[in-house]
Amino acid sequence: MRKVSHEWQKYLQKGFIDKKYWNDFKENAQAASVELKEVKNYEDAMPIIEDIIAGAEASRLAAVGGGESEELSRIYKNLGQKYQVYTDKFEIARNAPSVDIGISTAEFGVGETGSICVDNYSYEARVATMLPPINIVFMNKNNVVDTMTDAFEILEQVFDKGYTGFVTGPSRTSDIERVLTLGVHGPSRLILFAVDGME
Amino acid sequence: MEKRNIKIEIEDKLHDEILRSNLERFSEQYPAARAKAYANVESIEALRDDLKEMKSYSVSHIEKLADQFQESLEKRGAKVFRAKDGEALKRQLLEICRENDVHNIVKSKSMATEEIRLNDYLEEQGLHVKETDLGEWMLSVAGQHPSHMVMPAIHLNRNQCAKFFSDELKEDIPSDIPFMVQTARRVMRKEFLKADMGISGANFGIAENGAIGLVTNEGNARIVTTMPPIHVIIIGYEKLIPKISDASKIMRLLPRNGTGQRMVSYLTLVDGPTPIIHEKNGKMVEENKKVYAILLDNGRLKAAHDPVMKEVYQCVRCASCLNVCPIWSTVGGNVYGHIYSGGIGAILTGLLNSMDDFAQFSDLCIGCRRCTTVCPGKINIPDLIQELRNRRVAEKGLSLPEKLIFQKIMTNRKIFHTLLRTASIGQKPVKSGKFIRNLPLFFAKMTEGRSLPAIADKPFRDRANDLFKNNPSSAKMKVAFFSGCNLDFVFPQTGESVVKVLQDIGAEVIYPQDQNCCGKPIIGAGDLETARKLAMQNIEALEKANADYIVAACPTCAETLKQTYKELFAHDRIWLERAENLSKKIREFTSLVEMSYAKNKRLKTTHGAEKITYHDSCHMRRSLDIYKEPRRLLEAAPGYDYVEMDGADQCCGMAGSFGMKYADLSVQLLNRKIHNIKESGAQTIAVACPACMMQIGGGLDKNAPEIKIKHIADILAENISD
Ligand code: SF4
Ligand code: SF4
Repeated sequence: MRKVSHEWQKYLQKGFIDKKYWNDFKENAQAASVELKEVKNYEDAMPIIEDIIAGAEASRLAAVGGGESEELSRIYKNLGQKYQVYTDKFEIARNAPSVDIGISTAEFGVGETGSICVDNYSYEARVATMLPPINIVFMNKNNVVDTMTDAFEILEQVFDKGYTGFVTGPSRTSDIERVLTLGVHGPSRLILFAVDGME
Repeated sequence: MEKRNIKIEIEDKLHDEILRSNLERFSEQYPAARAKAYANVESIEALRDDLKEMKSYSVSHIEKLADQFQESLEKRGAKVFRAKDGEALKRQLLEICRENDVHNIVKSKSMATEEIRLNDYLEEQGLHVKETDLGEWMLSVAGQHPSHMVMPAIHLNRNQCAKFFSDELKEDIPSDIPFMVQTARRVMRKEFLKADMGISGANFGIAENGAIGLVTNEGNARIVTTMPPIHVIIIGYEKLIPKISDASKIMRLLPRNGTGQRMVSYLTLVDGPTPIIHEKNGKMVEENKKVYAILLDNGRLKAAHDPVMKEVYQCVRCASCLNVCPIWSTVGGNVYGHIYSGGIGAILTGLLNSMDDFAQFSDLCIGCRRCTTVCPGKINIPDLIQELRNRRVAEKGLSLPEKLIFQKIMTNRKIFHTLLRTASIGQKPVKSGKFIRNLPLFFAKMTEGRSLPAIADKPFRDRANDLFKNNPSSAKMKVAFFSGCNLDFVFPQTGESVVKVLQDIGAEVIYPQDQNCCGKPIIGAGDLETARKLAMQNIEALEKANADYIVAACPTCAETLKQTYKELFAHDRIWLERAENLSKKIREFTSLVEMSYAKNKRLKTTHGAEKITYHDSCHMRRSLDIYKEPRRLLEAAPGYDYVEMDGADQCCGMAGSFGMKYADLSVQLLNRKIHNIKESGAQTIAVACPACMMQIGGGLDKNAPEIKIKHIADILAENISD
């Protein structure tokens, strides 16, 4: 999959990430309506995802990032035995407007704001995360930086061209009487799996 | 320019109950929401300084940044154009549309395109254009303008929105908010799928790599920049920043200030052409999108090279200056320019649209300075507005009655004061409304919801000599009292209290009889030439007094003498020096007294029988930064029990000639103040400003006559035996 960088981890490890920012991240992400799931490993995410699928009466999924992670690719294979899971970019592009759930990855989290940094250079990653009503995201739980200043320091080194940015909770609007309503253009649910042992 | 009757527009807004209650609720909730969003940063000030510094660096290197931005984007495969104005931009864009056979356009929010009314133009050319931000979409359907830069539809309620939905979709849409939002999703999705061009603005553009940043909660900008095969970026020069890491300087403030969020849902960074996968001739293909960027000038580059106005480049369009503005939160944004509203909107309209447009609503800033305490870019909005007013007067001159009053009457102290004395006999000197509003306010008659005081029979200046018999025999200091027009002609008793309190702290008090009006009303109207004449008269009169201190018990006078005179003479070395020497001696009354009381251990907190609260004058609180001193004096005033009231530092609505010109609006602000005073349970409200005393006193008289209003000098004098 096309990415802004394949070396995020290298830069993150230049002293930016620390486990001590997790609590801030958690608090701020939840305040921004992120549904946070802390799991030890990918396998543990499986039953939760199945519950989500059942609860949403979903059957068709678009999933990106399997090419970069064997464990993620295994999850997609497993899900594929029960549901329709698109992982090919052309298939995703064709079906994204009608699938029920998009699954994707995030590079790191920001403690100060509860944001996740997403590398969405590829078209399939953008449509899979924006068009379906539910977006499930996998992130390494250890990859949390302190502030937005740090986050942009990383981008300063990583971002040369393409499409990236930060997502902080689901799509929302307050344009009518300032009443908060989720899911106006993008997903109404952002479910984040923070995987502990992820390398 | 569209000729408008702002007074009638304001009248309408004051009677728009939906608008009023929406704005009132919002402006009540906003400060707490903002504070909560900032609770996890160490220093807001440090963040504001960082932003200001980065943006002022950017404006002073604007051409370089523009070249670099263009080069970066071109290197990555985008086409970049520059447009000197709206016409040029429209022509360029139309050419791009024609070249690429574009029919359907989706747009995410861009104020620059609204500024040049791009949508109207594109539709005239037969193109199908859809705004995708929900609020903007509703307004475009309704044919209305946004009333706020961040919450464009804040003036509407759900029933009105449902009507716009129903009209546009030709189906019956109930006024259920989640249902409406889902309907919008459904309708707009179709637009996204069929669009062949996406137009976006940019919250910032990064010179070093050509990326733009888009800030949304809805996520529409992400789809606009993803699905259509062509992306056109329309970006004003003021959005350019040097480096990627500079973006964080904007992003740590913009969402917190704008919507009380620590971060928006989507901060999207797009740089150059990105892939798209779509069907072409029956086959799915992956290819790069076409990306165009148009840099819009339309007055921006001129502003960048204007030594004063370049400050507007520090604006990140967070709209928080509206959220705290007493005028915006009473009448909403539609009475300002057609796009940019509030104080900053007046300035931007003047720079980007026309000075004629600006002049129509330039007096909707009452100079209360609340916006300057929150603005992330630390823009001195009221000062920039004043500068534009000054330029307007320099170019077009004053209106005739203003000219007569300022230049012929007020500069001649004897005539001016004779007129005031005559007024005290007749109380109706000249009937012309215009004449009245331009004189210091006490010429005005009774108005609805507020009574205004009469001119005293015997001005302070005629009482002064008797008072000075009580000067202490061995004085610690010599103080010249600058009364200002209000304490001289409306509240001479308060002037007497001032003298009594000063004598009590050991001062020999004198009153230079040649002093004139400080000149503030004239400065406010932009007639600096005449203001300089008054300033010279006052400087001369006060120099002659040879005093250690010059004390004013009116914060506006104090500010004018201390600060503004220096600015008036910035280019006149000799008078500047004299103004500077004078400035060093100026003291605001309460701060001088408080210092002496503190030194003599007279500041022990007491809890007397009568509850008292305090109203901060705008000039005292935010220009002079004096707010602790009056409170300490009141806490220690025997017989009183000090309580703080809600919104103590909100403007009472007086604010110079504004209070007369927009009497109804002024009364609205006043009513809010009276409400808060009542809620505090205080029997007395203390002020340190005679203009506030006039305004609030008039409101209490009509609405709560049981509550008394007193200048702090009066309260302190009560506790001094004769
Ligand atoms: S100074 Fe006061 S009235 Fe003027 S724009 Fe700022 S907040 Fe509004
Ligand atoms: S002037 Fe300041 S407060 Fe107002 S919109 Fe601009 S940045 Fe925000």
